[in-house]
Amino acid sequence: MVVGKIISIFDISIEVILSDDSVKIGDILVSQDDNNYAFEVVSINNVSATCISLNTTRGLKKGSSVIRLSDGIEIEYSDKILGRVFDSYGSPIDDKTIESVNKRNINHGTVSLKDVDVSASILWTGIKVIDFFAPLQKGFRMGLLGGAGVGKTVLIKELIHNVYASINANAIFVGAGERSREGKELYEDMKESNLLDKMSMVFGAMGDNPVSRSKSVYAGLTMAEYLRDEKSQDVLLFIDNIYRFMQAKSEIATELKQLLIENGYPADMANEISKIEERISSTDKGSITSFQAIYIPADDYNDEAVQTITSYMDGQIVLDRKVAELGLYPAIDVFKSTSKLVDVEKIGERHFKLIEEVLRYLTRYKELEEIIAILGIEELSEEDKRIFYRSRKLRYYFSQPMFVAEPFTNIPGQFVKIEDVLIDVENILNGVYDNVDESKFLFIGKYHE
Amino acid sequence: MDDIITSNLYGTVDSIKNNNNVYNTGKVIKVNDYNIEVTGLNDVSFYEEVNIQEKASGYVFGIYPDRVIVALVKINEEIKPGDMVYALKKEFKCLFSLDSVGKVIDVFGNDLIAGKKFDNLIEISVENKNVPLMDRGLVKREMLTGITGIDLIYPIGKGQRQLIIGDKKTGKTQICLDTIVNQKDKNVLCIYVAIGKTKKEVKDIYYELTKRGAASYTIIIASFHDELPTRTYLTPYVALSIAESFMMQSYDVLVCLDDLKKHADIYRQISLASKKTPGRDAYPSDIFYTHSRLLEKGCQHKNGGSITILPVVETKGGDITDYISTNIISICDGQIVLSAKNFSKGEKPAIDYGLSVSRLGGNVQDKMMKKVGSKVRIELLTYLDVRQIYELANIDEMGEDLQRRLREGKKILDNLVQYKFSPKTKQEMIDSYQFLMDQNK
Repeated sequence: MVVGKIISIFDISIEVILSDDSVKIGDILVSQDDNNYAFEVVSINNVSATCISLNTTRGLKKGSSVIRLSDGIEIEYSDKILGRVFDSYGSPIDDKTIESVNKRNINHGTVSLKDVDVSASILWTGIKVIDFFAPLQKGFRMGLLGGAGVGKTVLIKELIHNVYASINANAIFVGAGERSREGKELYEDMKESNLLDKMSMVFGAMGDNPVSRSKSVYAGLTMAEYLRDEKSQDVLLFIDNIYRFMQAKSEIATELKQLLIENGYPADMANEISKIEERISSTDKGSITSFQAIYIPADDYNDEAVQTITSYMDGQIVLDRKVAELGLYPAIDVFKSTSKLVDVEKIGERHFKLIEEVLRYLTRYKELEEIIAILGIEELSEEDKRIFYRSRKLRYYFSQPMFVAEPFTNIPGQFVKIEDVLIDVENILNGVYDNVDESKFLFIGKYHE
Repeated sequence: MDDIITSNLYGTVDSIKNNNNVYNTGKVIKVNDYNIEVTGLNDVSFYEEVNIQEKASGYVFGIYPDRVIVALVKINEEIKPGDMVYALKKEFKCLFSLDSVGKVIDVFGNDLIAGKKFDNLIEISVENKNVPLMDRGLVKREMLTGITGIDLIYPIGKGQRQLIIGDKKTGKTQICLDTIVNQKDKNVLCIYVAIGKTKKEVKDIYYELTKRGAASYTIIIASFHDELPTRTYLTPYVALSIAESFMMQSYDVLVCLDDLKKHADIYRQISLASKKTPGRDAYPSDIFYTHSRLLEKGCQHKNGGSITILPVVETKGGDITDYISTNIISICDGQIVLSAKNFSKGEKPAIDYGLSVSRLGGNVQDKMMKKVGSKVRIELLTYLDVRQIYELANIDEMGEDLQRRLREGKKILDNLVQYKFSPKTKQEMIDSYQFLMDQNK
């Protein structure tokens, strides 16, 4: 049924004069002549509706009649999402069709305070360096920082592999505003490592219009909620990149001629971010644990959007190029990686003290490296020598053979329990292994018998 | 009340629609520098081509209930309020001729050196739909530049977007030209896009490329600052559309965009003139999207064709962390950073090996290049690090070992010095580092 006519078009913002008063915010309208032109209603007054275009508006005619398609963007809400790739609007893009069983609107309320579960159990990943320095709790939101080419993809793949292996939980990957090339590479990678059927992917790549880039996050969240609420799983959700979501929102706000705050961000930024982040939580049914890459615009850490996003994070994992260059994978910067669980009451005194001690050793090691570069190792005191050699063992120990890297490294992957990590670290620090060659610690699982 | 307003409005809309005279014509009511406001034109579509009598042409840039904004791309004669505007009932498209190879052209089918229009023109869309994710292949074939510091250390693959960034006069354009010249007999179509370069510079580039026999596979597309900004804004998009039409026929295409900082500035000018709210550094919020959708056209297509893009960005004072630079860095698959300091020291090409990156790295190299390349990169980076620490020290007072390392490092660096238009083959590159490989046996 025709609900109105287009009277104004400016880039992605469209004005429709309404002939039907049942149109409401969030509805999806399409042009009667060509339903490739689709719009979402974002505001209404008593004669017209302002909409944003889901695709291009090029070629769209003034005066075209529009009909109502649905009351919001919907995505499949069933087991059929697994192993599939979608665009931001819920259509599969992997050359296969989908026989829909049940669809669900991607806009949802957040988890209420009543349902948020903060006492959820710890999610051990089996990756030594993460479990030791930045342990995760189910429902955590972790920032995943680090430039390209330092092993982000391998880490994501290993997390998916390990969490699936230990608690049978699936994963969702959201590509928001990132490179299509990387999206395709990830897809091929997952296929090759037989992980594809354990996950679903949504892509709104950087070449897509801002509406698509921002909706990809809602679509991914809806799928994660399906797994949490209907399947009672502990889901992993990867968002690459959450900053791009906010950036897309700014573009939309500009097109809608809203008044903007500094650096062109929308005034309701905190609101928009929190609507996303508050959906990522642990409930009594299950949990969504997320890893969110955060882009830093113009290298400005004080950027308003970056600050708003990081205030929702429960911790962060920082990948460091310098560590990667030493060939130590996963290339995590242990000084910057941490989580809210690193608290004496949460992980226990033993683990907490060990973290402090290891960081003390590694900090001193950094200083010693500079001294050695000038004076040579013989000039060090006995105490410093001990710290130096033990720190090197620790550094090597926190490297780990990955399951998903087996084809390249020919070293079988290892899932290491936290108890074993604590014993090994304690032993290294206490000098139990002082006579063991440091190379014995490189790319192993646990060391002690 | 609502009904009255609605019915009134519909009545008005209907009466205008039934009047054929105003159906697809309009009148100019306001003339700005490079856009005009028009009443009438009640049935136009977004991006439709329009003519303003014989005086000018443009496309529909914004549609409002009572008026239409037309962006002008060509002005032959001064436009006055009251002039008639005709909508042409088709999407605005640019023109291209297959005879363009070896010529300097604009995006309206003109041969700029000969100063005349081509005869056999075809229409070309300003922008096509994005190549779908699933139609993209993996980037793994090499695109050789003939420059050791790039091919060996930070290699570029077919379908990669590799940024070339640096201050004025550090040899950014030269890397593009070297790469184009090196594509001789390699079945790669090259498109050099000059954005806001001076006419002298463009003519120089044309002569350089022709002299070196690159004309038979190169198209130069130029737009100048003394033209309408809309034209300059559109030029790179049209260039990529042309590249896409070749890629879809399984050709490998190389596109150099020189440079995107100027393109960003032109877009800022147009946006501010159309009253878009400015964001960071007064660029509009969609400046990222402006470049991301342009550069996302670079890809390896599953049909075998590819578009490799070398965008150029000019920086000030060697600062690559400003807004436009970081935006484009975050879109591209790597960057070659050029340093003014290296340039003046005579280390040419003036690549800053510490800041440069290729995100695809060894994936696009053959086995031997990868082996030698990764060795050279590690040794070089260590040397540069050590050199910096001992920059002020007296070499004669150093230990034997350190002296040897510094000597060797210098040799690695010296081997990378290469003057313009002197491409090396892969074998020459590998041979020049044989000493390094022998040592490890």
